[in-house]
Amino acid sequence: MNNKTSSGIFFIVLLCIITPPLFAENFHGIQAHGLADFRYIRTDSDNQNNTDFSKFSEGGANRDLFHVNEAALTLQGRLGWSWTGSITAKYGHNAKNPVDISEAVLFFKPVSTSPWRVNARLGSFYAPISLENTSTAWTSPYTLTSSAINSWVGEELKTFGGEATVGYHLENGDHVDFFGAGFGNNDTAGTLLAFRGWRMHDYEATILDGFKLPNPAHIQSIFTRQSLTTQPFAEVDGRAGYYAGFNLERPDAVKFRTLYYDNRANPTVVENGQYGWHTRFVSAGLKVILPFQLTLIEQSMLGNTQMGGLVGNHAAIDVNFWAHSLLLSKKIIEGHRISVRYDIFGTHKNDEIVQNPNAENSHAWTANYNWTLFTHHQFNFEVTTSTSDVTARTLQTINPSQHETLWQIGYRVFF
Amino acid sequence: MLKNIRYLLSLGALTFSVSTFALTLNGTVTNYDGDPIFEAVITAVGSIKTKSSQTTSPRKMDQKNREFVSHILAVQVGESVVFPNSDNIQHHIYSFSPANSFEIQLYKDISPKPITFDKAGIVVLGCNIHDWMVGYVYVTDAPYFAQTNEKGEWSLNLPADDYTLTLWHPNLDTPNNVLVQQIKLTTEKPVPIEHKITLKTTSRTGKPPTDDNQNSLYQ
Repeated sequence: MNNKTSSGIFFIVLLCIITPPLFAENFHGIQAHGLADFRYIRTDSDNQNNTDFSKFSEGGANRDLFHVNEAALTLQGRLGWSWTGSITAKYGHNAKNPVDISEAVLFFKPVSTSPWRVNARLGSFYAPISLENTSTAWTSPYTLTSSAINSWVGEELKTFGGEATVGYHLENGDHVDFFGAGFGNNDTAGTLLAFRGWRMHDYEATILDGFKLPNPAHIQSIFTRQSLTTQPFAEVDGRAGYYAGFNLERPDAVKFRTLYYDNRANPTVVENGQYGWHTRFVSAGLKVILPFQLTLIEQSMLGNTQMGGLVGNHAAIDVNFWAHSLLLSKKIIEGHRISVRYDIFGTHKNDEIVQNPNAENSHAWTANYNWTLFTHHQFNFEVTTSTSDVTARTLQTINPSQHETLWQIGYRVFF
Repeated sequence: MLKNIRYLLSLGALTFSVSTFALTLNGTVTNYDGDPIFEAVITAVGSIKTKSSQTTSPRKMDQKNREFVSHILAVQVGESVVFPNSDNIQHHIYSFSPANSFEIQLYKDISPKPITFDKAGIVVLGCNIHDWMVGYVYVTDAPYFAQTNEKGEWSLNLPADDYTLTLWHPNLDTPNNVLVQQIKLTTEKPVPIEHKITLKTTSRTGKPPTDDNQNSLYQ
């Protein structure tokens, strides 16, 4: 048993010890939720030590693997009638630290007796992008593996700041909400998309996390000041970023949400090996409940990231990125759900440093069947197959076009 | 629950001053598959002005398992409703309906003050803590009203007269969610009224999310 698995099991044992007293409802007004997630994984991916250009996080020596994928504990408490506090600590198989905080948020939601509603979030939390990750500790009720967009959101995007929402509600439940946020500590967002490309997994970075970059010797030969471990939540230039968007919703029927994000990072600033990556994107998502209780979720993202000073007419790294996903899901009978998702995603290189190829054209299919027993026990059977064309693979003298398949059996206990 | 329904069904007969011989008008409300529609509201307004009297004790709309129970409650203008909390958690009930806007904080085992509904109209209720919760108080100035039981059945004791009969359900797929018809009651035994209706395919159930383990902080 390696150290990581030991840490995971230790954290689960710890959860078993500390959570039962919290189950007593109204224990100082705190409610405990969480999950433990065990996986058997089999893949043909060649990913070595999670630093490859693979579309999955596992592979290479870990082609055939049983592990504790994740264990998380969320404590939520009401701090008066308008305030809620929530903090999530987790162990993650691929985490830099054995246990770390993934979210810590104060939620302000005063009651309204008019059609207008105001609410706000303060702390570290996910920007409202994913329409799939709505369950405990940002898991999805549909699939184990997140879409390409939501995998990246989990890795490199987190709001460290405040978000305010103003909504207008009709009596039939329809509402429109306008939201905006200011944030810091997200200056390195885009690093992984440019250096590694999109990836599909279900790992959400924690506050003090770090990711090793692929092909490190090559990166450092060009960008000598770039650390070989990117810190996803670093502030390097002291300049706040923002996002703003709106949400249209008819509850239990249709939801459309779009936002524009700009971290306003200065791409020429580098601090402790972490460059500012000026990343901007538009995100849009649509969730519709179709006839026969079929759920459709579509998400799209189009953006650009830039790092470094001008080389010719462009920043040293200047990459456009784009992704779309379409998921169909149906609860066939109570407790049994099937889901299928198609992802298509890629990057386009605008910059002029030919030694640093970072173009990608990929797509993937994910099929999942999950069976939930007694509310708390969920068995998942899932396959994800990806066909990807990543030019950076030529640096490792392997074929840029790869086909990879990931089989997973997951047992998740929610509490 | 059944007790409440029986109480409701007998309301017309027991609490309104009825000047002439009362006839019992029965009816059913189902969808086109024959499934009963629960808690639909039936009101009857006759040509003879009838002064209605309200109940003296407040009506009840409970919070159970993070739902409004009843989901729909019909009351007379001027009547009061109490909102007890049978859950182990807090609820924060509100309405922004023009008919009666209010908010009330509900602790477990603490009986809140009743809310008086003094304007006719539909009061949509929500919970500021549990966004999915939705309930309806149908405040009517009609002298006679009833709600369907779990079998979709309703009953009204009415004097002979010409009536405007209204059926309302929040998910009824008609403009304003109502069906209106004129009926004439003579001294003969009335023919039961059968309503077959279509409900909207997408509508708020007011029940907790079916995907368990949802975190309400992820919007």
